[in-house]
Amino acid sequence: MSHILQSDVVRYACTCGSLKPLSRIYFCRHCLKIRCGYCVSHEVDSHYCANCLENLPSAEARLKKQRCASCFDCPSCLHTLSTKASTVVVPSSDEKTVTRKLYYLACGFCRWTSRDIGYPDQTVASGGWPEKENPHASRIYNLLEHFKTLALREKQEREKKKKFIPRRNIYHLSGLSAAMARKRAGLPSIGPSSLKDDVGGPAELIPSAATEEVEQLPEEIFTDTLNLLKVTTLKQRLAQPEFQPQTVDELYPAHKCLLIKRSQRCRSCEHNVSKPEYNPGSIKFKIQLSAHYHVPEIRIVTCEPLRAGEKSEMIIKICNPTQYQSSLQFSPLPSPEEEAEELSKEIEERKQKVDRKDEKTNREDVLLLLPSICRQVSITEDPRPVNVALTGDISLPPVTLVLPPRDDAAEYDDSGDTHNFQDDPKIVVWRKANKAAMKLVITPEEDISEGRDVIVGFVMHYTYINTMATQLLEQREPQKVNLKVKLYITVGKVVGK
Amino acid sequence: MPLYEGIGLGTEKQPVVIDIGTAYTKFGFAGETGPRCIISTEVMCQESGRIKKIFSYSNEEELYSLLVEFIHNLYFRHLLVSPKDRRVVIVESLLCPSVFRDTLAKVLFRHFEVSSVLFVPSHLVALCTLGVSTALVLDVGYQEAVLIPVYEGVPVLHAWQAQPLASQAVESNLRRRLAGPEEGELSPHSRISESTIEDIKVRTCFVTSFERAHKITAGQPDPPPPSVSYQADGSSTVDVPGSARETAYEILFEQDGDEMSVSTMVLDAILKCPVDMRKELAENILLMGGTTMATGFKARLMSELKYLVTTPKYAKHLAIKVFKVHKPPAKENYVAWLGGSIFGGTDVIVTRSLSKEAYLKENRIPDWANLMYNCREDDNKSANL
Ligand SMILES: [Zn+2]
Ligand SMILES: [Zn+2]
Ligand SMILES: [Zn+2]
Ligand SMILES: [Zn+2]
Repeated sequence: MSHILQSDVVRYACTCGSLKPLSRIYFCRHCLKIRCGYCVSHEVDSHYCANCLENLPSAEARLKKQRCASCFDCPSCLHTLSTKASTVVVPSSDEKTVTRKLYYLACGFCRWTSRDIGYPDQTVASGGWPEKENPHASRIYNLLEHFKTLALREKQEREKKKKFIPRRNIYHLSGLSAAMARKRAGLPSIGPSSLKDDVGGPAELIPSAATEEVEQLPEEIFTDTLNLLKVTTLKQRLAQPEFQPQTVDELYPAHKCLLIKRSQRCRSCEHNVSKPEYNPGSIKFKIQLSAHYHVPEIRIVTCEPLRAGEKSEMIIKICNPTQYQSSLQFSPLPSPEEEAEELSKEIEERKQKVDRKDEKTNREDVLLLLPSICRQVSITEDPRPVNVALTGDISLPPVTLVLPPRDDAAEYDDSGDTHNFQDDPKIVVWRKANKAAMKLVITPEEDISEGRDVIVGFVMHYTYINTMATQLLEQREPQKVNLKVKLYITVGKVVGK
Repeated sequence: MPLYEGIGLGTEKQPVVIDIGTAYTKFGFAGETGPRCIISTEVMCQESGRIKKIFSYSNEEELYSLLVEFIHNLYFRHLLVSPKDRRVVIVESLLCPSVFRDTLAKVLFRHFEVSSVLFVPSHLVALCTLGVSTALVLDVGYQEAVLIPVYEGVPVLHAWQAQPLASQAVESNLRRRLAGPEEGELSPHSRISESTIEDIKVRTCFVTSFERAHKITAGQPDPPPPSVSYQADGSSTVDVPGSARETAYEILFEQDGDEMSVSTMVLDAILKCPVDMRKELAENILLMGGTTMATGFKARLMSELKYLVTTPKYAKHLAIKVFKVHKPPAKENYVAWLGGSIFGGTDVIVTRSLSKEAYLKENRIPDWANLMYNCREDDNKSANL
């Protein structure tokens, strides 16, 4: 697997303009286009806990604030805590002693335990630990209720007199608006009855009162030595945003954050290009349209030392991963003008797609009744031009290279190839099953300095058998299409003369 | 089996509230009592493997890709929900550069396909955490201290104050003090990482009392607090002298040269407001931003204010004797976020958000630093006094 070590030697240009190695791109079988992590739509599929592997549907995860109910993180070093058991002898009434198991939480990395903060040991192995609540929670809910009422009233007022500019607008919401002004003026506050709406007055809220009293600097700060082991680090504080404990005795264990399984969707046809299996224990995918299975792979076999302005031979190996024969051709990269034209064509194509989608969903009655059901217009980003500076020239042989389909059995067959291809032995230097090696000539730029990378690029045209269309349109014959992809190869560094 | 959130009609997906600060980003869900996470506003560069701060962008294009990467992480590593077709509340500073908000809107709408964005100014929504409509809001963050008085729900924009008197100034001051005057650039301490300096600041430094600070400037300091030896990265030790612990924050209160300090910002802002607002503003101060959490900060600011109003510079113009501060139901570093969470938890998110459709039609966001269209006529008059 050359990918592990040289992942960015051969990079493929995605339709969106990103450059990625083959192992990091997808091939949408519906659009017949290359997609990558940047240009697909990511979606959260399911939540699971990395420690106990329990999985939760999204709605339940939301209720639990995307945290695991039974696993905890160490508040000191943020690793996962484990439950430890200890046996204690409990004297019982009839002069016999009974041993009982008690449980506490302990960190295997930093030796923090729940006893450090005075949590009593639990008699059950899981659960039962005290939950810390935000001390301001009830005040915040009061404020929330209050502003909800105000916002609702503003909405109703607006609807009632749409022609007038509302006198009280949203920035008065951040204040107390009418009710407060009346109180100040000494007028009786308006009750729900006198308001001709059905919301009623804002919920009773006591505005915050400012004081002259502030927390004073403790005198002993000037005399007592500071024990840093007792003061929490910034990282520990920010790990618990609502509490931000300053001393270590206030570090309470936090429920472990869940992780997600994510599916990826082609933005243009809304089919999945990657969808994992639901079970958190499984590393398999239900759908995985990796380009590795659809787009011919190119690897460098060898390359002569590269010298500025001089020709060197490079041998690349090309592999056809599909079940069908594929013929390949190579051409130079398009000029900037041609590329701009291609980009605008791509953008135009997308626009048309959006318009078509628009027509479908543009029934007003449906939109009004079921706004959440109608898919919204997809307005994806426009593709960008590939941003890479070439530092070498590549001469491409005008041949058509035919690669047989992949045959797993042939991998173990050493008896030689039965295929009979009319290859030019000067260009195609080696062949085996669905792979072939080809000789190319590279010329680094004249003025390239020693140690710089030589980057060359070309377009690979290949035939692809579209099996999706066969299924959909019930055609007998699989459809043969001509596809192309831009490739950028970082051949190596320039050596001295 | 796909398990979608909020199946059925009427159940809206919980909106997300994001407050992107220069140093830290606070984010979570609208209507919740605290942010889910507070993380550094930075991303790991995929090619070089180096940490890159979002605000170190050199052009719009770079900012765009930094924000895509950063926000992707927010949603999929921390919030764990899909951004698509979900509402967003952005808590932003009134002084936020327009290239930043335009690019942020573009990233959210075009890349993440969110259904709507509501931009709320941090100084205004912070009042939602108090339930009052008038306050002098001082936000001391990483790069700047920004003060905006808000009167009856309307920002008194011409009285705003901004000074680079914040965390960054404190940290470079601390670094200088750790290096010592004679060692200069070559000392080993000049190579301490930024995060270590920050941690030293948070754990060992404090804002000293008004009396002691005066003695220090007069050249007759009281004995300094005990020094601390700080274990950095497990191997090297940094000696933090008591004097550095005590004086790191002094840069915020010193009035050398231009005579600007955090305390004079408060008084200068009050002076710029109409006379009938002044008393109410002085008695409704809201302090927010991580730097105001430093031990002793509030006590010092109060005594500074009480002293400064008696000095000739202010005594002539200001008849104020009493200053009062609010205690919001949150830690100071996420007060603005909580304001956004409360504000975004109401129907306002439906009536006031910029929808995806509207954004696509206009292809830009209404400029909202221009608050004129939001103000009542009489407010405009008073704001222009
Ligand atoms: Zn892409
Ligand atoms: Zn778990
Ligand atoms: Zn630990
Ligand atoms: Zn597709």
